[in-house]
Amino acid sequence: MKFTIDWLNEYVDTTGFTPEELADHLTMLGLEVDAVTELFQELASIKTALVVSVASHPDADSLSLCQVAVGAETLQIVCGAPNVRAGLVTAIALPGTTLPGGVKIKKSKVRGIESFGMLCSERELGLSSAHSGIMELPADTPHGQSLLDALGLNDILVEVDLTPNRPDCASVIGIAREIAGIIGRPLTLPVDSVEVQQSTAAFSVDVESAILCPRYGARLISGITIGPSPWWLRKRLLSIGLRPINNVVDVTNLVMMEYGQPLHAFDFQKLADKKIVVRHPRKNELDFTTLDGLVRKLDEEMLVICDGAQPVAVAGIMGGMNSEVSDTTTTILLESACFDPISIRKSARKLNLSSEASYRFERGVDPGGCLLAMERAVRLLCEVAGGTAEPGGVDKYYGQKPFKTLTLRISRTSDLLGIPLDYETIEKALTSIAFRCKRKDADSLWVGAPSFRIDIEREIDLVEEVARLIGYNSIPTTLPTVRMSYPEQDRSRTIRAEIGTLLTGIGYFEAINYSFTSEKHLQWLGLTEEDPRCRLVRLVNPLSEEQSVMRTMLLPGLLENVQRNINFQKSSIKLFEIGKVFTPKGDNAQPLEKLRLIGVLSGNRFGESSPYHFKQQSVDFLDAKGAVEYLLHELRFMGTAASAPLSFSPADQERMEPFTDPLQFLAINGKGEQLGSVAKVLSGVLRKFGIKQDLFFFDLDLDALCKLEPAAKNFTSLPVFPAVNRDIALLVPEQVAAGALVDAVLQAEEPLIERCDIFDVYQGESLKAGYKSVALSVTYRSAKKTLTEKNVEKVHTKIVTMLGSTFEGTLRTG
Amino acid sequence: MEQELLSLQDEARENLQQLAEAGQLEEFRIRYLGRKGLCSTIMRELSTVPPEERPRVGQLANTIKAEIEKLFDEKKALLESTGPSGAQGAGSIDLSLPGRYPERGRLHPVTQIMNEVCSIFEALGFSVAEGPDVEHDHYNFEALNIPAHHPARDMHDTFYVSEAILLRTHTSPMQARIMESQQPPLRVIAPGKVYRCDSDITHTPMFHQVEGFLVDTKVSFADLKGILTVFTRKMFGKDLALRFRPSFFPFTEPSAEVDIACVICGGSGCRVCKQTGWLEILGAGMIDPEVFKMVGYDPEIYSGFAFGLGIERIAMLRYGINDIRLYYENDLRFLSQF
Repeated sequence: MKFTIDWLNEYVDTTGFTPEELADHLTMLGLEVDAVTELFQELASIKTALVVSVASHPDADSLSLCQVAVGAETLQIVCGAPNVRAGLVTAIALPGTTLPGGVKIKKSKVRGIESFGMLCSERELGLSSAHSGIMELPADTPHGQSLLDALGLNDILVEVDLTPNRPDCASVIGIAREIAGIIGRPLTLPVDSVEVQQSTAAFSVDVESAILCPRYGARLISGITIGPSPWWLRKRLLSIGLRPINNVVDVTNLVMMEYGQPLHAFDFQKLADKKIVVRHPRKNELDFTTLDGLVRKLDEEMLVICDGAQPVAVAGIMGGMNSEVSDTTTTILLESACFDPISIRKSARKLNLSSEASYRFERGVDPGGCLLAMERAVRLLCEVAGGTAEPGGVDKYYGQKPFKTLTLRISRTSDLLGIPLDYETIEKALTSIAFRCKRKDADSLWVGAPSFRIDIEREIDLVEEVARLIGYNSIPTTLPTVRMSYPEQDRSRTIRAEIGTLLTGIGYFEAINYSFTSEKHLQWLGLTEEDPRCRLVRLVNPLSEEQSVMRTMLLPGLLENVQRNINFQKSSIKLFEIGKVFTPKGDNAQPLEKLRLIGVLSGNRFGESSPYHFKQQSVDFLDAKGAVEYLLHELRFMGTAASAPLSFSPADQERMEPFTDPLQFLAINGKGEQLGSVAKVLSGVLRKFGIKQDLFFFDLDLDALCKLEPAAKNFTSLPVFPAVNRDIALLVPEQVAAGALVDAVLQAEEPLIERCDIFDVYQGESLKAGYKSVALSVTYRSAKKTLTEKNVEKVHTKIVTMLGSTFEGTLRTG
Repeated sequence: MEQELLSLQDEARENLQQLAEAGQLEEFRIRYLGRKGLCSTIMRELSTVPPEERPRVGQLANTIKAEIEKLFDEKKALLESTGPSGAQGAGSIDLSLPGRYPERGRLHPVTQIMNEVCSIFEALGFSVAEGPDVEHDHYNFEALNIPAHHPARDMHDTFYVSEAILLRTHTSPMQARIMESQQPPLRVIAPGKVYRCDSDITHTPMFHQVEGFLVDTKVSFADLKGILTVFTRKMFGKDLALRFRPSFFPFTEPSAEVDIACVICGGSGCRVCKQTGWLEILGAGMIDPEVFKMVGYDPEIYSGFAFGLGIERIAMLRYGINDIRLYYENDLRFLSQF
């Protein structure tokens, strides 16, 4: 909603308040002011000028050579306007001025004669579309003055961001009422009461749906001369960014802005049977051309205004071409009506057409105010278009609602707001904006809401009015008294926080990607149609194809992040994301939402760490596996404790992902189910995402993880006796997994074995082809005594023999 | 014996002079002054000196030992105060080299701010609840007093999955979900992702909100002001100016928006605050009686307030981030700044 301070002052005298103070009042009343700006600043340097004399240009018939007085100066100007004449007061742009259209005025030579500026038309000044000649100002306008002063254009524009509950303030009078209330000054309305004599009307109105059209008022004005509006009227419209059209249309627009009541003027001669019918369109009437020249497709639920034969307007949204006011119009039928908000809203949506009128009807127009606005418009039309109001008119008011009287409890108001209030304070606040109050009993009052406050229906609405009017900032600031309770911690949140701490600790940055993604990513990963991750939750109205389905995997988003980072020369990447994936459960059911964790790593192992200490090395599969091991050990879901629930296993063929390297893939298993994986992504897949370097990832089902019991922390007594270390270097066939040797040692059920570590794996020319050397370090310890060489040797020999026979291994010597 | 002592003194002095760095001091100390060092050895040999000479030689030995100790201490003090000169000596260390530590990662700035917001409310006794991103129209709108065709739906550019299923446009559905299944008193915050079909320099189609609400008997608008004042001051500083002004949300009445003094210009007016000196950071209000009725609470017995805030906006103000799209590009040059 836009208005100007000058306009506001027509209804309430704001002398003594700056525009900023008024804006502040509005904002604190809940009418948030978005901007306060000085109008027409682009015209600030335009001056008024008096044409002193006019002579013909020696070399051009169509040009005049003028002497023009601008204050103390007299300038020579070459002008091409047909209406330039001695004694005319007009507008001049002096050299250095830039016109609203962007044209910069310079001292110039026109056909050999110097010109010191330009006399301007209204169109050149952006004031109207008139361009038949230069602007004509009243003859008594002093020259050399600022044009803004001369036209009274020095005004301030205020823009209010209206909330949907206050359609009454989509009008300058509505705003003025709020201001008048808060600054305690009277509100003056141009028209404040009216009656319509229905008996003598020269036309008829038939409303077929009282629900969709609670009120329809109309008057006839004859003897109209269509023409431009007087300056004051055009100025009002221009100042709030509306284009003046002609006196009739301008009046309807002005009154809509003033009262918030949309009006429509029909050319009465074009209405068949001198008749208005408010009804739904018939099947053969669904193609309708609106004022803007477009053919609209109506439907039978919409409401249209018809004459005796056909639709002439889409009710409350836009008039029709067939009944439009034109230059030859002499009699108009003025409509001031009220339509059902939901019906207008649905129609406007379907037609994808919104107007100042539909904006107001959708939010609710006061049926009680129709006639006031109509009367105001009738008077203006008589004044500015030379019309005569025909006696009588029509007022079909079938949707009149009983006057609303509500009970407001003083104690309830005080309790809800947290401030003690009395009858007088509440009465003073509410009556300041036209509510009527009457004491009901010791604790309550009757409150009558004015009809334009269609948002007031309940006691709580009045409580809000009181709060707003006494000012939110006068309500005290207290802390609630509450019963204590312990807020239960959500385990998933705790684990997610822990994961964040752990992974950032080893160099992973957290990423957050959109929950919606592109379907093509799943194809790039090579998923088959049967893959459950190809069952997608689709958006009906996505912003783009790239964001059209809810994600079923986190990996594609991170691959895009990796590609972006590489493009920006960050090729050492460790990222993780914790987020939801979505699986459909049927058309009108919510999908299944599951939390997953993913980490990706690529490039240099040590990232941005000092290259002096951490030499450039590329990450490999074991970095990814290590991150998961570290994470799951710290969360106590994996490790040496027997109760740790998770372990790794190589995946069998059917569980293998189509986008991973089959030789570099491990499944993370819980009891009987796979909870995640660690793998290398195939380079062919990576290339589809624009990535040309190796990339590894780990992926975990976080919901399943959160259901696991972590291994308990149990103290073990510190060993009293020293340990003994023995190394074994074993030559085994190259397909033997080093980890299998360790497992075999640990599972040998020798109580003296405390731990076993791999410390070297070697394959090379010095070894037998097809064989590798695995070096193990075995730690022996007894809880009862210091071990002797003999004790250790006995067990160690057994272990070596066992390894040798199980894995076809030979002890490596030399 | 005397001769031995004097040559020991000379030798020690010469050795000490040649010492170039602090690392060699210990070797010297062990050789001459240690428990099995040369000085101690000579002292033990004093028993071989004839008894009549013993006092004199003994005194000399003590003097020489004291002298060596004195020289050693001086040298030690010198070396330790100046350090090795440049690359002199094999064991020297260039202290200007970088310290050794592996790089660590960071949480996303949205997560950091989210954690901070949640922990302030958790400290005030609020519990945390999370709900579905893909919601029923009922919880997102109807249960919050936003019927179909209400103009307030214009404030929510909604992504739909089907006629009745949508991506939640705010975290407020959790109000209805929690109240439906629990009885007051309630103190809950609901953080999460929300979606609006809008994308430009100040809007991303996905962003994060925290919804909070408190329901009990005798909760007032003054209490709402109290809790949100505590929160804003914890978040933005204890002397921060703030104001509450009327606004409209269909599920609260009276409704309010909370502004803080612009953290960029301090209130004098700038581009960020659109010259107003104020920044809007929170929407709030007393829970509307209609919302209570829909979950079966008696609005004559219970009252409460609700509030919602946008995490990205708070992070932008806290860190001076000027383009909201940066949040979801996951550019390491961005993520590593927080």
